[in-house]
Amino acid sequence: MQILKNKTNIDFISKRKPALFLSTVLNLAIIVGIAAFGFNFGVDFAGGTVVEVKFDHPIKAEEVRERAEKGGLPDVSVQNIGAAEENTFLLRMGGVTQLNEESGAKGKAALEALGNVRNVYVDMPNGIIRFRAAQELPTDAVKKAVEDSGIGVQEVRELGEAQGGTGFDYQVVASGMADRVFAALGQGLEKPDFEQRRVDYVGPQVGKQLRNRGIMALLYSMVAILIYVAFRFDFKFGPGALMAMVHDVIMVAGYYLVTRREFNLTAIAALLTVVGYSVNDTIVIYDRIREDMAKFKGKPFAEVINIAINDTLGRTILTSGTTALSLIGLLIFGVGEIFDFAMAMLVGIVVGVYSTIYIASPLTIWLDERAAAKEARQREGGNIDQQQPKVA
Amino acid sequence: MDRGWWWKFGLIVAVTLGCIWFLIPTYYSLVVLDRDQRNNLAVLEERMPSWAPPAKYRLNLGLDLQGGIHMVMRVDTKTALQKRTERRAQQIVNYVNDKKLGQVSADTDPEKLEVTLTAADPATMDAIQKEVLATFTDFKEVNRSGGSLVLVQDESQANVFRTEAVDQAMLVIRRRIDKWGVAEVDVRKLGSDSIQISLPGRSNPEQAKELVGTTAQLEFRMVDDSNPQFFAQLLQATPPPPGSDITVTTEGGFPQLQAPTREAIIDYTKDKVPENRVVLTECIANPVKKNECSSYRSYLLDRNVPLTGESLASADANISQLNEPEVNISFDPAGAREFERLTEAGVGRRMAIVLDDNVQTAPNINEKISGGSARITMGRMGGRSFEEWLGEAQTLALVLKAGALPAPVTVGEIRQVGASLGDELIKKGGLAAVLGLGLVVLFMALYYKASGLIADVALLLNGLLILAGLAFFNATLTLPGIAGFVLTLGVAVDANVLINERIREELGHGKTARAAVDQGYDRAFWTIFDSHVTALISAFILFFTGTGPVRGFATTLIIGLLASLFTSITVTRVIMTYFVHGRNAKVVSV
Repeated sequence: MQILKNKTNIDFISKRKPALFLSTVLNLAIIVGIAAFGFNFGVDFAGGTVVEVKFDHPIKAEEVRERAEKGGLPDVSVQNIGAAEENTFLLRMGGVTQLNEESGAKGKAALEALGNVRNVYVDMPNGIIRFRAAQELPTDAVKKAVEDSGIGVQEVRELGEAQGGTGFDYQVVASGMADRVFAALGQGLEKPDFEQRRVDYVGPQVGKQLRNRGIMALLYSMVAILIYVAFRFDFKFGPGALMAMVHDVIMVAGYYLVTRREFNLTAIAALLTVVGYSVNDTIVIYDRIREDMAKFKGKPFAEVINIAINDTLGRTILTSGTTALSLIGLLIFGVGEIFDFAMAMLVGIVVGVYSTIYIASPLTIWLDERAAAKEARQREGGNIDQQQPKVA
Repeated sequence: MDRGWWWKFGLIVAVTLGCIWFLIPTYYSLVVLDRDQRNNLAVLEERMPSWAPPAKYRLNLGLDLQGGIHMVMRVDTKTALQKRTERRAQQIVNYVNDKKLGQVSADTDPEKLEVTLTAADPATMDAIQKEVLATFTDFKEVNRSGGSLVLVQDESQANVFRTEAVDQAMLVIRRRIDKWGVAEVDVRKLGSDSIQISLPGRSNPEQAKELVGTTAQLEFRMVDDSNPQFFAQLLQATPPPPGSDITVTTEGGFPQLQAPTREAIIDYTKDKVPENRVVLTECIANPVKKNECSSYRSYLLDRNVPLTGESLASADANISQLNEPEVNISFDPAGAREFERLTEAGVGRRMAIVLDDNVQTAPNINEKISGGSARITMGRMGGRSFEEWLGEAQTLALVLKAGALPAPVTVGEIRQVGASLGDELIKKGGLAAVLGLGLVVLFMALYYKASGLIADVALLLNGLLILAGLAFFNATLTLPGIAGFVLTLGVAVDANVLINERIREELGHGKTARAAVDQGYDRAFWTIFDSHVTALISAFILFFTGTGPVRGFATTLIIGLLASLFTSITVTRVIMTYFVHGRNAKVVSV
């Protein structure tokens, strides 16, 4: 069996200009889109709380939202995951603890009402209220006062006597949001009709850290691969491979932008894998170009590239095809982020093939032409240096 | 068939058998054992045949696949440092007053970690400045104007303090989790100020948060040795319940109960202690695994707590003039008075240092200690190395500091997966892997016929190698890891496609089967090598920057790529060589 019965001789390279134009427009549109709309950052990066609940009876997303709102959670987002008959929902909230601006102010007032309390500071991101009291306070009373103002309290910490000034330092730690979600959903029920399947809770600082590390990982790997390609091949191959990588990453990011699927750590993993896959594809064709350069010494570079691409076309379709084939299971059985991962990879595979032909190769031609033109200028200027196109 | 072929063939067979052998613990832990026994190494070791590899070489299931809690706690080093600055400021004031250098007052700026000293008489400031800067070397001068001097915490000293605060918090968390008896916990440092905790099988994040989030409670309690034979008599009078393995051992002249679990001792002694007494336990560290307790021993203590960690001002491990490790502690003025009273009344008795209801040590009081500073010597060296001996002193100092200086811990991240969701994800992940792999295998066999089948053999071996490799590194299989597994196998086929296409091409040029196979492999080698190296680069970067599930994905990818280099180049070539050289096949079925 053979996919391409006869040797193809498609003139890819002649269409490089419109292709390059189209790619540039698409890439720019995605970048502008990211700047304008941003990603739908998952809890990994944005911080917040996500809980997954599975009901033991059929229920609609609207009903779940209604119940949450009735339970006092107006800003919750409810999303159905998996098949409809699984009755499984993701509930997402911005905060990580029960402390928000409104409840924090109430808690502060309640503490000040205790008397002799100074310097009340509501540390919302950490879900902690710090304060200093003139004399020692029983922690039970502090806990009760704060709880009465509507904030679930996990713990009241005594930090001991303030040695620099006068007074005693305390911290009130608010309970987590997940608790509140489950309470809201189960309000009025004797026994909850749902199962708590998953709780993800990421503090805002951690989210920022994770995001920065993810972006750094992408940059590092691109630079490292660029160095390797420049080292193993001629220098002129490097920029092409890099641009192809950047192109593919932007296109896959476009998938997350357009579909509004959650952009999280797994998405970063998908982007990094696409980088690896894209450059893999580019290298196979580069290898062939290098080989064909030696084989067809007299031919123009563009033509050699065309031959190389056509030579490897069957292979390109096959390898992309088998990789895509292996993703099918993940696309069918993958839930949530794994489905997104497989989908992003699929996009990555398709654009990876395209970018090798229409981004990496033309850029190499362009760099080669520039080098040749420079050489020609030098030769005219009397600097006769008979350099053949280099074969690395 | 030359000898080189046999040698390679032998290697492949050995690798295959080795992989299967290495997966025995994984097979037993995931398939044979019940779910709740899955993480129990001892049971696993017992059930496996004796010729199996050690139980620790097995593939763990990630928390997303078996249910459990993953937490990242952030240590609030800022608050701890602020408290420290205030304490040091007070010490400076005391020092200046004690030395009679003049009257000063101190004011601290918690944000900038600055201390402003103001002298009652500006003329005395020169002497004060000189003396204070020479003694309190962890402070640096910021500026000086007349009778006021602004000092700031030295940054390198502050960093040491921050690191210490995280270490303390980690130690406290470890001991607390141990107290709860959670098996297979993993507590490790993450970055500069965070601690990562994995609790497989636990399902209540709020409970877990409480477990690790509260500040440590350090107490000093007197040991009741009025009846040294208390535990021995108790055991004689009431035999312990069968299976609790409670025995009496004598340590330093005092009989104590010893049992493999803390609960056994606590349950047994409940309702059997005299009024105003309480039984607490001490962990006897496992000589091999330092963070685990091999058994526990009992102490009978006074119920009332005369002194707590809040009165403690500092604790440091040192080496004494006798070249023995010791821990120097000092109390604040109120604590010093109480400590003096306690030691005066308790000469000859033992004083237990208790952290979160765990007895850390119970040194003997040799004499009345006044002045608020004391020395705890670390007993006899015994069979320990000096490093271990000193290490114990350092741990004790950490424990004391952890109780004394609460660096508050806040929750950075909690991810909890219910057990039923975990099971479902394993099932779906497994199905996805099998389906993806099956489709690729089928396709290769149909498309390349015999060569495709050879590639399929390599592919299956590749899968086996990945699993064995993960088991060898005791890696954790996560849901993204399964995705990585499937994807890696998809990419691994790529190499064989390259080779087979090359062979077809060479055959198309009219070469013989032998020449085509040899050239196909030779030509494709560097291409395959380059593409694998670049993929490895991104996988390694993913590994070093990623956390949790992403790291699992990267591990799978790395092992898979290395395995693919071996299987696609060596394994398929050996088989191909067998057909075209050994059996002299004239046609290559590609």
